[in-house]
Amino acid sequence: MIHDRILPLFALMVATGIFFSYVHPTWSGRIAETKAAIISDEQALVAASAYTTRQNALATERNAIDPENLSRLAVFLPDSVDNVGLILDLNALAARSGLSLSNIDVTKNKVESSDASGALPVARANPTSSIDLSLSAVGTYTALQAFLVGIEKSTRLLDVQDIVVKSSDTGVYSYQMKLRIYWLR
Amino acid sequence: MLPPTIPTSFVPRPSDATSRRFTSDLSSAFGFFAYGILGGVFVLAIGVFFYGRILVNTQSAKNAELKEAEATIELATVENFVRLRNRLEFGATLFANHSAFSSFFTLLETLIPSTVRFVSLHLALHDTTGVKLDGSGVAKSFNALAVASAAFATDGRIKDAVFSNIVVNSRDNSVSFALTATLDPKSIAFSPSAPTTVPLGSSDIPIREETASTTPSL
Repeated sequence: MIHDRILPLFALMVATGIFFSYVHPTWSGRIAETKAAIISDEQALVAASAYTTRQNALATERNAIDPENLSRLAVFLPDSVDNVGLILDLNALAARSGLSLSNIDVTKNKVESSDASGALPVARANPTSSIDLSLSAVGTYTALQAFLVGIEKSTRLLDVQDIVVKSSDTGVYSYQMKLRIYWLR
Repeated sequence: MLPPTIPTSFVPRPSDATSRRFTSDLSSAFGFFAYGILGGVFVLAIGVFFYGRILVNTQSAKNAELKEAEATIELATVENFVRLRNRLEFGATLFANHSAFSSFFTLLETLIPSTVRFVSLHLALHDTTGVKLDGSGVAKSFNALAVASAAFATDGRIKDAVFSNIVVNSRDNSVSFALTATLDPKSIAFSPSAPTTVPLGSSDIPIREETASTTPSL
C-alpha cells in the first residue's frame, strides 16, 4: 500500500529533477545559444552570398569599362601626389608652349577631409587631397594661352587657382600661377 | 437463538469496501500519472539531447560553410572596388568644378577694344566668393575706357566691374585705370569641347598651335 504511493512520488521527484537539472537548462542555455549562433551564421551566409553577387556584378561593370579609360582615370586622379613627375610634365608642356618656367614650389598643403577610420575606406568620406604648386614663367601671350589650354586639358586634373600677368614693353610677359593638384589618398 | 447484538455473518459492510476500492483507484491513477510524467520527461530529455547534437552538427556545418565563403572574399578586391568608385565619384565632382582661365582670356579679347590694354591682371579663384579680378591698365582715351566699361556691363559675365584710379595723362590724353570685378563662374567653366588639346602625362600628343584671331590686349 505504501509502495503504491512512494514509488510514484519518487518517480515524480526524479522527473522533476531531470527536467530542472537537464532539460530546462539545456534547452534555454546551450541549445538556445547554438540556435542563435546558427541564425547568425545563416545571416552571415546570406550577406556573403549577397556580397558575392554584388562583387560579380561590379566585376562585370568594371570589365565593361575600357582598360585604357581606367588607366586614364588613374592618371586623372592618381594614388599619390607625385609632384616631381608633374613638374617634369609641366616643364615639358611649358617648353612645347613656348613658355619659360622658373621657381616652381609647393605653396600650400591642404587636406580636404579627415581620414576614414577602419580597415576599408568609408564610402562617404572625401578621400582626395590636394596641394598648390606655385610657378613663375615668362613668355608671350600666345604661349600663355597654349600653356593654359594644356593645363586645362591635362589628363591629370590641374586647376588654376590664381594667376598674375604682368606686361612689359618687350612683349614678353611675366606670369605667376598657382595650380592645385589632387590625388586619391 | 443467537443474541441480537451479534451481527449475522452474511451481512456485507458496503462502506469499507467502497472506500478501499476508491483509495486503490486513486493510488493507481497517481501512479499512472507519476510514471507517465517520468516517462515523458525521459523522452523529453532524450529529445533535447539529440536535438542538441543535431544543432551542434548543424552549427559546425554552417561554420565550415561560412569560412569557405569568407575565404572567397579578398579585402584587396573590396578596396579596389572602393577606390575605383571613389575615383569615379570624386573625380566627377572635381571635374565639374574644373576651371579654365583660357576661356576668360578669350572673353576678354572679344570684349575690350584694342585701344585698351592691361598692364597687370590678377585672377584669383576663391572657394566661396568665386573668381575675383584685379587689374590695372591704360586706355588710349577716356572714350575707349567707356567702351570697355559698357562692354562689360552689356556682356554680364564680368560682374561688378569698377574702374578706379582713373588718371588722364595730359601729354597724350591716355587714361590709366585700375579695375576690380568678379567673374561669372560660367565664364571659367571648363568645356571638354574646346578645340585645343595639350594633355599632360601623354607628352607624345602634339600641341595644336593657338591662332588668336585678335591681337592680345594684354
